Amino acid sequence: MGRPVSPSDGVAMELAIEVRGLRKEYSDIKAVDGIDFEVRPGHIFSLLGPNGAGKTTTVEILEGLRDPTAGSAKVFGVDVTRDYRKIRERVGVLPQDFEPFDRLNPREAVGYWASLFDRRITAAETAATLETVGLTSRAETQAIHLSGGEKRRLGIAMALVGKPDLVFLDEPTTGLDPGARRELWGLIRALQSGGKTILLTTHYLDEAEQLADDVAIMNHGRIVARGSPDQLISQYGAGTTIVLAGAGQAGYDALQARGIVARQENGNVLVHVDDPSQVRWTLAKVASIEMPLKEIYTRRPTLEDVFLRLIGSHMKEGVLAE
Amino acid sequence: MKRILADAKAFGKQYLRSRTGTFFALAFPVILILLFGAIFSGSGTSTLPLYVQDLDNTPASHAFLDALNNTTILVYNPIPANANITSYISEHTISLALVIPRGFQQDVVNRTNVTVTLYGDPTQSSFGIAAAAVSGAITGFNFGVQGARPVVSLRTDTVSQRGTKYIDLFLPGIIGFTVLTTPLFGMTSICAEYRTRKYFKFLGTTKLSKAEWLVAKILFYVLLMFASVALIMAAGVLVFQMDGTLTPVAILLIIAGTVEFTSLGMLLGIFIKDQETSSAIANAIGFPMMFLAGSFFPIDLFPPYLRTVANLLPLTYLNQGLQATMVLGNNAAALVDLAITAVMALIFFVIPARALSWKAK
Ligand SMILES: Nc1ncnc2c1ncn2[C@@H]1O[C@H](COP(=O)(O)OP(=O)(O)OP(=O)(O)O)[C@@H](O)[C@H]1O
Ligand SMILES: [Mg+2]
Repeated sequence: MGRPVSPSDGVAMELAIEVRGLRKEYSDIKAVDGIDFEVRPGHIFSLLGPNGAGKTTTVEILEGLRDPTAGSAKVFGVDVTRDYRKIRERVGVLPQDFEPFDRLNPREAVGYWASLFDRRITAAETAATLETVGLTSRAETQAIHLSGGEKRRLGIAMALVGKPDLVFLDEPTTGLDPGARRELWGLIRALQSGGKTILLTTHYLDEAEQLADDVAIMNHGRIVARGSPDQLISQYGAGTTIVLAGAGQAGYDALQARGIVARQENGNVLVHVDDPSQVRWTLAKVASIEMPLKEIYTRRPTLEDVFLRLIGSHMKEGVLAE
Repeated sequence: MKRILADAKAFGKQYLRSRTGTFFALAFPVILILLFGAIFSGSGTSTLPLYVQDLDNTPASHAFLDALNNTTILVYNPIPANANITSYISEHTISLALVIPRGFQQDVVNRTNVTVTLYGDPTQSSFGIAAAAVSGAITGFNFGVQGARPVVSLRTDTVSQRGTKYIDLFLPGIIGFTVLTTPLFGMTSICAEYRTRKYFKFLGTTKLSKAEWLVAKILFYVLLMFASVALIMAAGVLVFQMDGTLTPVAILLIIAGTVEFTSLGMLLGIFIKDQETSSAIANAIGFPMMFLAGSFFPIDLFPPYLRTVANLLPLTYLNQGLQATMVLGNNAAALVDLAITAVMALIFFVIPARALSWKAK
């Protein structure tokens, strides 16, 4: 176990993760450029950021897989660069882009992985783990024949075999279709209800907003904002968005022609209004313009708006738009 | 130890379930030995067909042909006297032909020089054998003509007590070849796969150490090699009556060799980060070694500089040792080769197992 918490820490609860002044430099790039954060037990903490932000680098330092250039990284009070062994059994890991072993079925893979933690696992425990991730009916199918979502869930099952207190999920839903993503969200919430602490990296804003208790928005190796989704939205997401549902390209062009700044999203056209006193006026003006329209409504800001404001561009599949 | 067994078991399951891997490991050496067996057991009894055009057709030329027959190496087939020798050779795709000129007997009686001509392709080993046999026959015939009695005579005896046939040397050769190629090429590609799929990192979060991972692979490959050796020997012995015994020293040699080449494969696969490069280097090491280490051709036939090269190759000692103990029954020599192989195995094992952690930079 970790060192005893000293009275001066002022908290009775041991932090699950504590990162201070963490840096990781490669010859040509500062992958992680001085970050601080802490994760409370039982929380879902999300590192949110575009490709190359430094999420995986941070997570792999915490998993004892890379040594930082400077700073400290503690998991359950243990310095992971020196004593990762001491907390290994309390940690479960789903690597980014996880691919299971092609020729093992989920039952075998879970048993194999448990034995690598010196954990004797009974058939009932294996079945229970597979039940948790919803793979019971696929238990005897070689992994090569599983769907993308099932493969990720098998990865999570393997991460869970050691009965960890803390689970690292590095982009668990990237590349999955919306249905499979939602299933995984349900699973991640269930893990949290089961008492586990989760560090989740993602570049999906809705994922962080839906799941995380605490979000750190990362870009270029730095944390640019931190807080719960609600805090971030009230702090940075000032303003209201007018949604012109179904307006499409024609609506966008019509607004452009009148010099109104707008953007398109899934066939809708969005107009952002910063000043609350201007909402009614803008709404009236926009509504008077001729365009195909299904519906018109206002929306409170989302993490999406926060991100746009902080980073200055949109993000799609981890890639920033100019 | 439990972790090692669990890892070896999981690895073995995956290996055997991927059919191409298993095919190459088990069937390919058997196919090789059947091929070599078919090629070399045919000429193994080694009589060469010699086509003869006897333009003289006299008692003296017949006596010469008898002398040829007595060499027991050549089987003589006649070519009609009216045939044009060069076109006859090409029409009948004949590899060896001898022409006895008209006036042969006349010249022999007169003690004037007479020349018989041997047609053939000097790049073929059979030509050398035929030329030697013909010149032997000529020598005997000359003695007879001059009424001299031969002073020196030759008695042949086989070198090994067991009566080694050329093909018997292939059995240890193919075993050495298999112990080289299966683990070496297998491990370089497995390491590449483990890196691209990030399994090394994933394993790095478990309690399994790199040394344990390597030992598990070795364990599996040793079992696989014994299965493979059993099949190779069954094929060689049943189909071609090859001679060879799986002695205790041979078993130790196979184990040491498997450790050696599994570790070497891991060494390449781990130190060379790029998959194309590591498999190219494995090929660059593996292929010349197959041929230069005496798997298929005896090293004694090599020119001296190649023999020096051969003496630097790890596989040479495995091949030599296997030959010595399995075919020639010379365990003392095999033990020296075993010691060399074991030391190299240890070196190749220690470098990847010690020098690396799962950690990335
Ligand atoms: N071993 C390495 N050598 C050099 N540069 C590296 C190395 N590992 C990571 N980097 C660089 O560090 C930066 C951060 O990479 P990292 O993988 O942490 O990003 P990420 O936030 O996980 O991105 P993604 O969403 O694409 O997974 C990138 O620019 C990457 O190219
Ligand atoms: Mg990443």
